[in-house]
Amino acid sequence: MADSKLPGSTPPSGDDAYTQWYEVKAGDTLWKIAKEHYGDGNLYRDIFNANTDVLSDPDKIKVGQRLRIP
Amino acid sequence: MSHIHPTPHAKTNFGAALYLLVALGIALTGCSNQMEPAKKAITEIEMAVASAGPDAQRYVPEKLKAVNDQLSNLRARFEQKDYAGVISGAPSVLASAQALVAAKDAAMKEASAKEAAEAAARQAADTQKLTTDWQTLSEDLPKQIAALDSRLNVLAKSKNLPANVTKDALASAKSDLADAKSSWTAATTAQSGGDTRNAVAAAQQAKQKADAAMASLAMTSG
Repeated sequence: MADSKLPGSTPPSGDDAYTQWYEVKAGDTLWKIAKEHYGDGNLYRDIFNANTDVLSDPDKIKVGQRLRIP
Repeated sequence: MSHIHPTPHAKTNFGAALYLLVALGIALTGCSNQMEPAKKAITEIEMAVASAGPDAQRYVPEKLKAVNDQLSNLRARFEQKDYAGVISGAPSVLASAQALVAAKDAAMKEASAKEAAEAAARQAADTQKLTTDWQTLSEDLPKQIAALDSRLNVLAKSKNLPANVTKDALASAKSDLADAKSSWTAATTAQSGGDTRNAVAAAQQAKQKADAAMASLAMTSG
């Protein structure tokens, strides 16, 4: 997860009432969040791509950040 | 043989009695002459009241009561043989009775106009609600469907399911989303044809299915 830009990265679309959010907790990684929401940690890129406005590196997430879960 | 001759005093009494008898006869004749016109006047009033019909009770109850009270008064006077009183009082009561019809018609017209206005207001409110409902649903549903599509697209790439989504739930979500899309298409078609009522009905069905799909996938809204 070292690349700051991942293939297929697209800017997040407009948020609305149906946008699914997750607040980062201590010890979270994108892989762990993807595992929790999709059952497969390898899908972390989908989360990263949906949050390029707040994330520049998939390995660098901060506690309290609100991330979109597409 | 003796003849009995009336005394002057007896002559006077006889004359007075005769006078009273004649006067009474004249009075009775006079009364008798007035009875029929009085009866006719009351009948005329009764017919005028009847011509106002049962609607008078509904639309002009106070006026009807006033006329009936006056009519009852005339009947009482008739029973007391006050025919002259009946005849003198009848014209104003008759006028009031005849005015009942016009008053009733005016009240009915006013009530009808009021009902029409209320129906138009209800129709306008109904149309406004449909328009508002459509605006809300048409802004909401595409976003909800897009969110569901997005989640199902990601899950389709997953080798496992998340802990809070079962295989059956995933299948239900897919089915409900397909139904939601179908209903949404029907809704937009109806709206394009100017049928907002059916458009809203179809959109509400789509919304129910979309909500069900979100619940199956443990997604939240708002």
